[in-house]
Amino acid sequence: MSLLELKNIYKIYGDLHALDDVNLKVEKGEWLSIMGPSGSGKSTMMNIIGCMDKPTKGEVLLDGVDIAKESAKNLTTIRRDKIGLIFQQFHLVNYLTAIENVMLAQYYHSVPDEKEALEALDRVGLADRAKHLPSQLSGGEQQRVCVARALINYPEIILADEPTGNLDDANEKIVVDLFHKLHSEGTTLIVVTHDPEVAEVAQRTVYLRNGKLHKETINEHFTGEIKFDK
Amino acid sequence: MKKRQMYFRMITASLVRRRSRMLVALLSIAIGATILSGLVTIYYDVPRQMGAQFRNYGANMIFTPAEGTFTAEDMEAGRSRIDSGNIVGVTPYRYESVRIHELPVMAAGTDMEQTKSTSPYWSVEGTYPASGGELLLGAGLSEQFRLRVGDEVTVSYTPEFDGRSGEETVLDNTKDFTVTGILETGGPEEDYAYMAMSDLEELTGISGVIDLAELSVSASSDELKAYTEKISAEVPKIGARLVKRVTESETTVLTKLQALVLLVTVIVLALTMICVATTMTAVVAERRKEIGLRKAIGASNGGIIKEFMGEGMLLGAAGGIIGSVLGYIFAQQVSINVFSSSISFMPLIVPVTILVSVAVTGISCLLPIRSATQVDPALVLKGE
Repeated sequence: MSLLELKNIYKIYGDLHALDDVNLKVEKGEWLSIMGPSGSGKSTMMNIIGCMDKPTKGEVLLDGVDIAKESAKNLTTIRRDKIGLIFQQFHLVNYLTAIENVMLAQYYHSVPDEKEALEALDRVGLADRAKHLPSQLSGGEQQRVCVARALINYPEIILADEPTGNLDDANEKIVVDLFHKLHSEGTTLIVVTHDPEVAEVAQRTVYLRNGKLHKETINEHFTGEIKFDK
Repeated sequence: MKKRQMYFRMITASLVRRRSRMLVALLSIAIGATILSGLVTIYYDVPRQMGAQFRNYGANMIFTPAEGTFTAEDMEAGRSRIDSGNIVGVTPYRYESVRIHELPVMAAGTDMEQTKSTSPYWSVEGTYPASGGELLLGAGLSEQFRLRVGDEVTVSYTPEFDGRSGEETVLDNTKDFTVTGILETGGPEEDYAYMAMSDLEELTGISGVIDLAELSVSASSDELKAYTEKISAEVPKIGARLVKRVTESETTVLTKLQALVLLVTVIVLALTMICVATTMTAVVAERRKEIGLRKAIGASNGGIIKEFMGEGMLLGAAGGIIGSVLGYIFAQQVSINVFSSSISFMPLIVPVTILVSVAVTGISCLLPIRSATQVDPALVLKGE
C-alpha cells in the first residue's frame, strides 16, 4: 500500500478546474518533486495533501485513510501528527526564538522538549543560534529552523512549498543537502518547486499543467545531491 | 518542559518581545483602568469629602432638653453615644436675659473654642474671647450700644426672686467685660452677647445648666438618624434632633453627585471596552498570518483562543495594576484640587480594578479572536 494515493482528484471553483482528474501515488521513503507553471494547480494539490483543503471529488488516501472525508478538526490532528510543513517564506513566529519555534510544533503535537528541539536544530547546523530571534537569522538560517520544526515530530511526510524560492545558491545547497539527509533516514519528501535543479535531485518529478498531470520523469541517476550550473 | 510552561513562555514572549505593539494596547487598557479606578475611588470617597465640606455649614444635630434644662453630664452622656471619630464639635449654650446700659440683652454662655467647630461660618472682627471677662458681641448689639473692640462694658443680671431671703428687692449681679470681638453672621446671632460659660455662671450664680447643645457630626444621614434615635432613647433628659435644613441638603447634593460620578464611570467603562476591543481587533488582525501558521502546524481553534485570550488577560492584568496606581494618583489630584484634602486609600479598589480590566480585555478580545480562528491555514502555504 502506498503511503499517499490521490485517486481521481478534482478541485473545481465555479468553471475553473484547478485539479482535473489527478491520480498520484507516493511510496513511503520516496522523494517526489512537483513542478508546473503558475496556475497549474500545484498549490491546490499541496493544500489537499497537506490536509488544509478538501477535493471536490475523489479520494486522498494517507496511510489508507481517506482524508477527503475527514472533518476540519480531524484534518488538524492528521496534519499535526503526520505532516511536516516547510514554506517558501519560512513563516516563523517572529517573537519566538529559533528553539521556541521548533518547540511550538512539539507543543501542538505532544509535549515540548527543549533537549530534543536543540538536537533538531543541531541536525540543521543551528544549535549555536537556538536563542536567536528570526530577525537575527539570515534567510537560509530561518529556512533551516523551519526544516527543524517540520521534522521535530517525526512526520510521515515532509511537504515543502518552494523551500528554496527565497534562498541564495549557498543556502539552497544547504537545504537540499538537509533533504538528502532526511531522505536517507527514510523520510518521505514532497517538494513543490519552480527550480528545475531542485526538482531534478528528487527520485521522481511530476509536472502539472492546467490542473492535470502532464508528465512524470524518473531520475535514473538519483544521488540526492544538487549540481550547480549557475 | 510541561505544556503549561511553554504556554506561559509563549504568551509572555509575545508581550515582552512585541512590546512596541503591545504598548498601544496596554496604554489603552491602563488609561481605562486609571479613569475607572480613579472615579470609583472618588465615588466612594465623595460622601466623606463632601461631609467634611458640609461641616462648614455648621451644626447638623442639636440636643434640646426633654424638660426645662439639662446638665453638662447629660450632654456628655449623649456625646458618648456618637463615635468619637465622627464628632467635629459639640458646643453647649445657655441663654440668660441680662442688661447692658440698663437695656435687656440676650446673653449666651458657651464654649468659645467649640463654636469655631460648630459654627465655622461666623465672621469675627477682633478675636474670640480667650479668657474670663471677655465678650463677643453680636454686630446688632455693637451697633445699638456703639461698642467697639477693646471697649469696656458692665453686664448686669437680676437673679430670680425666690422669696426665701425675706428681702423686698433683689440686688443685681454685675460683671465687667472687655469686648474682644464683634460677630457678624447675617443671622439672629448678631443680637446676642457671647461669653464663656463660666462667666455666665458667675454672673447668674447658677452653674451646670445647659439650654441647648449644637453638634457637628461627620456622618451620613442614615447614621445621623440612628444616633439621634439612640440618644433620645438612652439619655432621657435629652431630645436629639437633626438640623434638617443641613442634613437634607447634604443628602440631596450627595445623591446627585454620586449619581453623576456613577454615570460618568459607566460611560468611561463602555468607552474603554470599545477602545480596548478596537485595539485588540487591530492586534489580532495583524497576526492573522501567525494564526494561520499555528493552525497549519497543528493548533486547534480552542488552542488559538486559549493563547490569545491568555495574552489579552495578561495584558488586562498589567493594565489593571498600572491603572490602580495611576487611578489613585488621579483621584488624589482631583481630591486635592476640588476638595482641598487628600483621598483615603481603599485597598479593595486594586483587586477590583485588576479583575475588571482582565474581564473587559477578555470580553473585548473574544470577538476578534473568534473571527481570527476562521483564518484558513492554506493562506500561509500560498504565501499570502
